Formats: sequence, structure tokens, C-alpha cells
Amino acid sequence: MLKSILYKEWIKIRLVVWITLGLGLLALINIFLKVRHDILFVDAANYWYSFLFRGYTYFSVLKFLPFVIGLAVAIAQYFPETVNKRIKLTFHLPVSENGILIKMHAFGAVMLLALFLVLLGLFTAGSAIFFPSNIIRASLLTMMPWFQGGMATYFLVALILLEPMWIFRGLYAVLAAGFVTFFFTGASIGAFSPVLLPLALITLVLSCVVLFSGYRFRKGEM
Amino acid sequence: MYAIECKNLTHYYGKKLVYENLSFNVEEGKILGLLGKNGTGKSTTINILNGFLQPFSGECLIYGQNTQTLSPETKRRIGFLIEGHIQYSFMNIHQIEKFYSGFYPDWNSAPYWELMSKLKVTPKQKISTMSCGQRSQVALGLILAQDPDLLILDDFSMGLDPGYRRLFIDYMREYAKAEHKTVFVTSHIIQDMERLIDDVMIMDYNKILAQQPVEQFMNTFRQFNITLTSPEQEVDLDGIAVNIEKVKDKIEFYTYSTEDEVKNYLASKGIDYSSFEERKMSLEDAFIGLTRKY
Repeated sequence: MLKSILYKEWIKIRLVVWITLGLGLLALINIFLKVRHDILFVDAANYWYSFLFRGYTYFSVLKFLPFVIGLAVAIAQYFPETVNKRIKLTFHLPVSENGILIKMHAFGAVMLLALFLVLLGLFTAGSAIFFPSNIIRASLLTMMPWFQGGMATYFLVALILLEPMWIFRGLYAVLAAGFVTFFFTGASIGAFSPVLLPLALITLVLSCVVLFSGYRFRKGEM
Repeated sequence: MYAIECKNLTHYYGKKLVYENLSFNVEEGKILGLLGKNGTGKSTTINILNGFLQPFSGECLIYGQNTQTLSPETKRRIGFLIEGHIQYSFMNIHQIEKFYSGFYPDWNSAPYWELMSKLKVTPKQKISTMSCGQRSQVALGLILAQDPDLLILDDFSMGLDPGYRRLFIDYMREYAKAEHKTVFVTSHIIQDMERLIDDVMIMDYNKILAQQPVEQFMNTFRQFNITLTSPEQEVDLDGIAVNIEKVKDKIEFYTYSTEDEVKNYLASKGIDYSSFEERKMSLEDAFIGLTRKY
């Protein structure tokens, strides 16, 4: 049964996974071509200096990529379930309704995490060619809220799409927009480090809210 | 033994009452057709049966379990056809068969592939690009492969041309009778039901008008047409007729009374007529006769 669930979810999101991965790779290529170009014209020490003391972020092109990926994966996975209330088919399968929703959601979240880890891994490997480890660490800390924001976007868009009532969808969308914006405000090096753990905990809590939309659907809210 | 038991169902949408204290049962091995005009609560009933709607009060049981808390084992015994033959249209016929087969230990793909072999679709063609008729065959094939004990078919005729409707009905009837399946079915096209169902349940706003074997209903519910000798004549048929339509001197009325009972009633009320005729009805005529045209 689990294999069948994962099979269906993969069919829905596979195109988006490959496209967003390609988009991420293009963004990374763009970043490191630019870094290489800049280091050739300004020597490496000066380039590092501008990063450490002038707040220059060579990876800002990545800022909204996790948001776009989270949004795209959530839409690819949950929009087909809402068309013609197709989620009824899913809830009618001979498994517990919450159980199947958790498995679908966990699959989407794991795929998203895998995409993010691949991109972060490649970013780290590429950065290691040009920068010392303390700059790489600071860069990763700076980017962390963006990737957490991507996960939060996925969880909140799933909540919105599965919600059966338009008025609630609108309300959730406004709240979600306000909340997700918080992950992307400012880009000072390591500025968000103190709140990374609370943000991670909030994101973890958000991972469960889709169950609420599923419950409301099953109770016939419309 | 009942496959479905609904007891004292009451439901509102906001302040609008859909029905009150509605009770009905569906016997195992029977094909029951739920008929009703738009807005009488057919979809509400289907949604309650499938656990997608919590009634305001009352309960429905399927194989003894409340439909709000069906176990996976009971859900495995229920085949569900959503209105419009909705399926996972982003899959092709191979992918969807592979997907569903993982949930049902007794999955029998032979009838599915038999039906698919009749469709002129390519193996990788997505269901979303198929015609409504082809999609109906995919949905039907999946239900047959699941081999459930109870089939709930919500408006199966929607969007189907006469050929596909006939194919669907003949397949379903033969399958249900041969395998002793219970079927709960709704459709807007009542002439289809006549070929398919054993029992009929006719709903009107807030109540059930009839629930009985379709043969019994067709034998006891009658239409009479009379022509009055004088159009000005006052006519009171309330004592026998469930629905009366009068145009000038012509009266068309529907009743559960026999011809003799009707004639005696007319005589007792002093109603003079120049012609009297019992009109043979189809199920659709009887449905309209019982529920009125509007």
C-alpha cells in the first residue's frame, strides 16, 4: 500500500522535481560563474572581505528559489487532489484517512528536503573551491531561513489547497503570506542565526496542519 | 441482512433543511436506485454514506459500521464511483491499475483489461485526455477489478452517450446479479434505471415518496386520464390522487388506487366523464407523476 501511495505522489510531482532541480542547478552555475569572474577581477582576499564586512552575498539569486520550489511541489501534489474533489478517491482507499494524508505529506516533504539538500550540497561543494570554511558556514546560516521558508511554504500551500471552503482558503492565504514573508526579510550575513531553531520548530508544527484541512473536508464543510 | 442501514437522518445546509428523520435500508444482493429531483438530497445521502459528510443527526451503517468511522476492512468492501466518473486523470490506464492493485489483496485485473481492450486508447494516454465514455469504462473496470461487495454509483450516467450508458448498465447488471453484489445507484436518466435496478427509492424535498421493488411500484402506481363532460365541473380527487394535472376538460392524475377504486371514487363524488383511460407508464413517467413536473 505504501508503495502505491508513493507511486501516485511521484507521478504527480516528478516533472516539477526535475524542472526545479534544473532551475536550481542553473542558479548554482550562475552563482559560481559570477564568483569566478569577480575573483579574477578583484583578488580573493578583497572579495572575501566584501562578504564578511560589507554584507555582500554572492548567493542572493538563491533567495526565493526554495519558496518557488516549495510552492511548485505543493501545487503539483495537492492541486490534482482538489480538482473535482478527487481527494474523495484518496480518502475512500482502504487505509486510515489521516494515515494516507500523513504518508502523502511526508513523501512531499522528504522530496522537498532531498531537493534542498542536493542544492545545498552542491552549493557547499562549489563554495569550497573559492571560499574558506568560515565563509561557507556563514553563507549556509544566512540561507537557512530561506530553505526553512520553502518547507513552510509547502506545508501552508497544502493546507490552503485542501481546505474545502474558499473563505477559509483566503484567510489562510493571507496569514500564510504574512508568515512566510518573515523567512525572507533581510539578507544580512547570519542575521537570523538566533531564531533558526524556533523557526525550525514552527516549521515542524506547520507540517501537521494539513490534517486539519483533511478533517474539515471529511466532515463535509463546504 | 442489510448492506446499508440509515436511521433517522436529519441534515441542514445552514438553515435549509435537506431532510428530517430519513430512514431506509438496502438489502444485500439488491440493486437500489435512488431517484429524486435536483436538490432533494441524493448527493447529500451519497456523501453521508461515503463518510464525506457528517449528518446533523442520525446515522448510516454499512455492514454494521457507522459510515463516519469506516474501518479499512469495510472500505475495502465498498466500490465507489464518483459523479462524472472522476478518477486520477493524471495517470494512464497502466499506472492507475498498478496504483489501485496495491490496496486490494483480491485484486482481479482480468475484467479491467477486458474493458480496456475495447477502448481505442494508447497505453500511455492519460485519462485526462480520454472522452467521458472512455473514462466511465476505466472507472467501471477499476471497480470490477476491486470486486467489492457493495457498489455506490453516484450519477453514473452523467456525460455518457446512449451507447456507453447501455454498455455500463448491461455490464453492471450482469456482474451484480452473477456475483450477488449490492448496488446503491443514483442517476438523472431514469430510463436507464429501469433496466438496472431491483428496488426504487424516490426522494422529494424533505422526505421519501416511495421505497419498494420497482416491479411492485410499476404495478401499483397508475396514471389515469379522464375527459370531463363539463370543463367547469368542480373536481375533487384529493382522496385518491397523489398528483393531478388539469387542462380544460382533460384531467391526468396519478394514484395507487385500482381502476375499480378510482371509478367508484369518481361516482361517489359525482364526477361525470366522457372518457376514462389507464395510461401505461415507464419508470420516468411514474417518477414525474409522483414528484410532479416542477
